[in-house]
Amino acid sequence: MKLGKGWIPAHLLVWGYAVLLIVPLYYFLASAFKSNEEIFAHPFAPPTSLGFDNFVTAFTSAQLGLAVVNSLLVTGLALVLTLALAVPAAFALARSTSRLASAMEKVFSLGFLIPTFAALFPTFLLAAVTGLFHSRTFMVVFLPATAMPLSVVILVQFMRTIPREMEEAARMDGASTFAVLRHIYTPMCLPGIATVLLLNFLTFWNEYLYSLVIIGPDPAQRTVQVALPTLKAITGTDYGVLTAGTVLTLVPVWVVYTVLQRRMQQALVSGAVKM
Amino acid sequence: MTTLTPPGTAPAGPTGAPPRARGPRPGARPRTGAPAQGGTILAVPALVWYLVFMVGPMAAIFVIAALHWPGMLQPVSFAGLENLRTVLDDPVFWEAVRNTAVHLAVALPVMIVCAYMVGYYVAQRPPGHRVIRYLLFIPGLISTPAKAMVFYAALSPDGLLNGALESVGLTSLTDAWLASPSTALACLIALDIWAGIGFTAVLFAARLGSVPGELGEAAQLDGAGHWRTMWRVHFPVIRDYVGVVTMLQFLWTLFGSAQHVLLLTQGGPGSSSTTLSFLVYQKAFIAADLGYSQTVGVLLFLVGLAGLLTIRRVFRPHH
Repeated sequence: MKLGKGWIPAHLLVWGYAVLLIVPLYYFLASAFKSNEEIFAHPFAPPTSLGFDNFVTAFTSAQLGLAVVNSLLVTGLALVLTLALAVPAAFALARSTSRLASAMEKVFSLGFLIPTFAALFPTFLLAAVTGLFHSRTFMVVFLPATAMPLSVVILVQFMRTIPREMEEAARMDGASTFAVLRHIYTPMCLPGIATVLLLNFLTFWNEYLYSLVIIGPDPAQRTVQVALPTLKAITGTDYGVLTAGTVLTLVPVWVVYTVLQRRMQQALVSGAVKM
Repeated sequence: MTTLTPPGTAPAGPTGAPPRARGPRPGARPRTGAPAQGGTILAVPALVWYLVFMVGPMAAIFVIAALHWPGMLQPVSFAGLENLRTVLDDPVFWEAVRNTAVHLAVALPVMIVCAYMVGYYVAQRPPGHRVIRYLLFIPGLISTPAKAMVFYAALSPDGLLNGALESVGLTSLTDAWLASPSTALACLIALDIWAGIGFTAVLFAARLGSVPGELGEAAQLDGAGHWRTMWRVHFPVIRDYVGVVTMLQFLWTLFGSAQHVLLLTQGGPGSSSTTLSFLVYQKAFIAADLGYSQTVGVLLFLVGLAGLLTIRRVFRPHH
């Protein structure tokens, strides 16, 4: 369709919104290299020097380095566990036509309607009862459960597209169920696995409330999302340090997004609505 | 689903096919080799995980709501509906109800309508639409604490907004936005709208991209403008999709507000920005009144359910 003069207001509004999205990021990036005086005097001026003082302060005062390591550990292990649970489950549900399997699939897809935060306190109790309270371990075990509905449903959709003849041929050659999963289904639904990994990488890395309540304030255990807001209390209003800390937490996500932009966008779009 | 394999060679035959009467092979793991239900058993660990860590705690809310439990280490006793009475008599609860209602009534329609229009714009592939698309993903990528930092930097007393107002001579308009009873809730709503439009717009753009182009062209030939095409031609086609996205945003706004409130205003000043989901958090982890907290949790759950059903009804296609 042709976009005529009538579109000028639309262009302005949409680009105006885009500016609202990009300006805070620019401000954060620029401020991370500036002192408080510079930030207040010229909030939007590019930094005059590229000193890493603020980053160093953020690292040391809130122990962000340790927090980044914790976040990487929790995110990485939780992703491995998610795949270990979701891939066999999706494999079973995609191939089976039994009534039990379709009931299970229903249970998973209803899971979208359970908002993750709803059961914060009972989950906290569960952590206390299992003795995994105030540790990263519980998050590693717990996060895959929150990811299960989405991961299973996405993987089932991918696996349903794999022709059954592939499996039958392998069966003729005497392949076991496990071999079928490992050598046929897993390689053929790598794009689905990538989608699940990307989506869950984002949610796990960005998870805040549960980590705050369950891991708690111990710097040796807490994740970067929990450590970040404490900068506000520690440094008062040293915006340079505050923004440097925020930029640090965004770096891993940014790297992944920029490298895998197309795939990430597809993953986010397909992951948002699967009902 | 049909299969050409005779039953007996494949473990997952069509419905009703007898499972293979063979024991687990030595090479396979015992549970994967089990023929029952064509390997449905492989789905059990995931299901158990999900039930234990998600559904179990969810059910526990209803139990705890009926308990008198004044703190983690305090003795627990059965309270029945007593908590409900306490909650309904509490003015703070009603203030939270009002705040949540305002929050949803403003944030949700603005977010969905704006996102639909931005999505339509992007789907027309105007110049620079790739850049726009890239930028629209930003709120979907950054964490809640990072978003809160953005708003903290913008709205704190010596933040960006006041700085901008001062520099254009409007000093009288400056305010401690997050600490003023009249604007604290508005700041939270602004955060939701700012973050919500971008990602929702991308979803709509993706869905609109799969609507056949002839549909819009036909409408244009009939003399319909873009405004008309957008609302009268495309909207009905993706109506149910808009409904699903609205449901998700509704749930996200209803339950997710606790994090924003916690990070930006702590529910204050007074209880002027306390939402229902923050009340659940605050009563559990700050006030240590667990029965009260989970009673609000139950009510929140019911509000969520009622909201979902209402939204589904509103977006039901007209036939």
